[in-house]
Amino acid sequence: MTTLTSLCVIIGLLASALCAQPAASSEALLQHAITLQQAGDLDGAIRAYREYLAAEPDSVQARSNLGAALARAGHYDEAIAEYDRALRKSPDNPALLLNVGLAYYKTGRLAEAAARFEQAVSLAPQFKEQVTLLLASCYNNLARYKEAVTLLASLEESKAGDPAFDYLYGTALIGDGQAAGGAAVIHRILSRGDSAEARLLRGTLELSAHNRDGALVDLEKAVALNPRLPGAHARLGELLLTDGEPERARSVFTQELALDPAEFTSNLNMGVLAKQDQDYAEARRYFDLALRTRPNDPGVRYQLANVDLATGKPEQARQALEALIAESPDFAEAHATLGTVYYRLNRGADGDRERAISQKLMDQRDLPLTGAKPR
Amino acid sequence: MRRWWAAVALCVAGHALWVAARGAETETRRPHFTDIAPKSNFAYRTDNNFTGRKYFPQTMCGGVAAFDFDNDGRMDLFFTNGAKLPELEKTDARFYNCLLRNRGDGTFEDVTARAGLLGKDLGFSFGVAAGDYDNDGYEDLFICNAGRNTLYHNNGDGTFTDVTEGSGITKPKDVLSVAAAWFDYDNDGKLDLIVSNYTVWTPQIDKICAVNGQEYYCHPKVYPSVAHRLYHNLGNGRFEDVTDSSGFGQELGKGMGIAIADFNGDGYMDVFVANDTVRNFLFINQKNGTFKESGYEWGVAYDDSGNAHSSMGADAKDYDNDGWPDLFYNNLKGQIWGLYRNIGGKYMNYASGISHLSRLSVHSSGWSNGFVDYNNDGWKDLYSSNGEVDNMGQTSRQPDTMFENVDGKEFRDVSAQLGPDFNHAGFQRGSAFVDLNNDGFLDLVVTSLDEKPRILMNSADNGNHWLLVNTIGRRSNRDGIGATLKLTTVSGRTLYNHVTTSVGFMSSSDKRVHFGLGTEKAIQSLEIRWPSGIVQTLKKVKADQILTVTEPER
Repeated sequence: MTTLTSLCVIIGLLASALCAQPAASSEALLQHAITLQQAGDLDGAIRAYREYLAAEPDSVQARSNLGAALARAGHYDEAIAEYDRALRKSPDNPALLLNVGLAYYKTGRLAEAAARFEQAVSLAPQFKEQVTLLLASCYNNLARYKEAVTLLASLEESKAGDPAFDYLYGTALIGDGQAAGGAAVIHRILSRGDSAEARLLRGTLELSAHNRDGALVDLEKAVALNPRLPGAHARLGELLLTDGEPERARSVFTQELALDPAEFTSNLNMGVLAKQDQDYAEARRYFDLALRTRPNDPGVRYQLANVDLATGKPEQARQALEALIAESPDFAEAHATLGTVYYRLNRGADGDRERAISQKLMDQRDLPLTGAKPR
Repeated sequence: MRRWWAAVALCVAGHALWVAARGAETETRRPHFTDIAPKSNFAYRTDNNFTGRKYFPQTMCGGVAAFDFDNDGRMDLFFTNGAKLPELEKTDARFYNCLLRNRGDGTFEDVTARAGLLGKDLGFSFGVAAGDYDNDGYEDLFICNAGRNTLYHNNGDGTFTDVTEGSGITKPKDVLSVAAAWFDYDNDGKLDLIVSNYTVWTPQIDKICAVNGQEYYCHPKVYPSVAHRLYHNLGNGRFEDVTDSSGFGQELGKGMGIAIADFNGDGYMDVFVANDTVRNFLFINQKNGTFKESGYEWGVAYDDSGNAHSSMGADAKDYDNDGWPDLFYNNLKGQIWGLYRNIGGKYMNYASGISHLSRLSVHSSGWSNGFVDYNNDGWKDLYSSNGEVDNMGQTSRQPDTMFENVDGKEFRDVSAQLGPDFNHAGFQRGSAFVDLNNDGFLDLVVTSLDEKPRILMNSADNGNHWLLVNTIGRRSNRDGIGATLKLTTVSGRTLYNHVTTSVGFMSSSDKRVHFGLGTEKAIQSLEIRWPSGIVQTLKKVKADQILTVTEPER
């Protein structure tokens, strides 16, 4: 948090330097706003910037600084709005892009954050070092592990041993299915002593290898060692949920969301649990939060379509499922539900078609199963 | 309240501890169950021949049928059993099937050998279905096996004859049949037969699955799905395999429990088949000898997230007393048992969440199951016999569960209050609902792997009233299977049920239709819609009786 805030302020000042100067008649007011901001009087600075901008609405510098002040005060959505207005005037301003990326990051809108970070680095490669870990964190949280691996691999020589780097790199490698590489990173972390990060990574690795007992031990230890470690509760909750412990899962997901209200896995699974309870309003709220973190996530969109169907909105479900299938044509469950939706809408032929597609896809998916897991 | 507990403790000294243990959370007096099996001398244990090597069918053993084979008015019991593996033969007495005659005094007599039902020549037996397929007034048996299936004709003299050969009931080579149900799909007055098949299996092609050297029962998906089979009763002991022409042959599944009901109210019986790890089937009767698999249309193929589960037992009854049969299947721990509410005979809504079944069921691995009004309050409760597939953890042995129906809207777990015998932890499999002592309260018979069955007598002590209806068809099949009953009490409360013996998993229940009436002692009317189409209405029926109703001529 402290690092991010500092980075935000520094980049805010950078943005100020890069922006065009306002009209001389308002110079004193702008200077006053900057002084207040530097003195930590954020409310005063925000008021002063807004007063200044009422007279000088096109000032990129003032709007950028206002965004920074709002972000520092925790008003991220307002900050994003101000940054975006500034970016309309100065679309290739890398500092502004970094600032808005940070604001998106703080609000859990990681896809948008990643896009801004990527754009900023492409315009100003000197920012790469500053944002690499943030960008890698975005990629990991968006399940874009391969991109995270690519990003971090080039830094391994210089950054190996840095706890934050190792954790992100390990997460990326395990997520990308590179078990051996992930294990090596875990070993590196553990060589410095037991840690919540190492336990979380090892638990994740064990989960992917169907070693559920080992995963449970490590994930519970991770949470015990550092109850504030991002993602640890979420991973433990996933395990508990699939082990038939929904109430414990619900509890740990809630703890994760107390740390990070935008955490994707927890929002998705809390939505699923609410849907199981047929508390559809609550389910929709969680799914919407999950979608905010991962816009267009097919799994979440599918769940929302199921909520539509369950709440008597087959037409809405149809539209959502058709759009989903257009983007994810191999989503067997989506075809199955769309089949049911068509039948409900008295479109028998379409239902028959979707049913056949879903069966074919499920049969294909079952083919490689070798029984390599106990029931 | 405290005085009442004290009275119970004094009166029923043997239950004093249990009454004390259930504490203050109960407000309603509930019957409990007591196992009377130890009072009888019989050798049967459910023996799946587990000796270390894990053969796929060992997980499914111990079907139960409750039926009155000798027409003495008392329900008798039949159990199926396993076989020596890999020989797939009932090589000695421990694998024999078992028929227990109800003596009427709380004990049972093993009459298997006399009845000719040992099944020495059968393979590994699974499900059993009781029904009078030849309308001679005596209940016959069909047994599902790995190996040939078997039709036993009840000779009416306490003996049975294997009449499979020449009956036309055949199946493709090595198909493993799990459960069966008798029903009259074309309303011609003769019971037809549906058999749920699981896969193609022999000991020689059994697969071995292991992790770190520890063998476990393979996931079902390593075995192929197969078609369930429908046999049309031609009369004179002959059946025609109409699997392909009826539409059943087009759908491949891994069949477990079968539920029979007229889901859309068109007067023709439909078929739900619970499938293990693949989508469930709902075959809607097209009234022309064919069925349309309509699981998607009805919303019961998957759960409400498009997931297929390990569906096990199945039952179809009206749990909310709205006149439409609903659906209940169970599955394994970590999944959610399926409860579906029938919406006006058009489709079903997933109701596991809103009824609290999702939270109640997630820790149990269920096998046989059913809607059962165990406390005669007029609301059908949810029973499940439980136990994990494999014995790989401390919680593998599980107790059964009873989820009590609260006003047709939700369920609550009352299992712990039903007595220690009910709460026996094991690898429970088959179960039947039956009134063994004709007291109007349903008893439970439950098998468990490597154990004697439990014969759980309902204490029948909450004062609620009841009606048992024994239907005898004339134009319809003699059992009256498929007849739908609407009961209206004097207060105007309406209750619904229908005649079927197919309940749960591998099992066959009391064919008499049970109604719990709560505190009401009188019935305004009882309407019976026979499969023939004849509608019969009885007025001013007394409660607390076993009422035999014969189908009128018209």
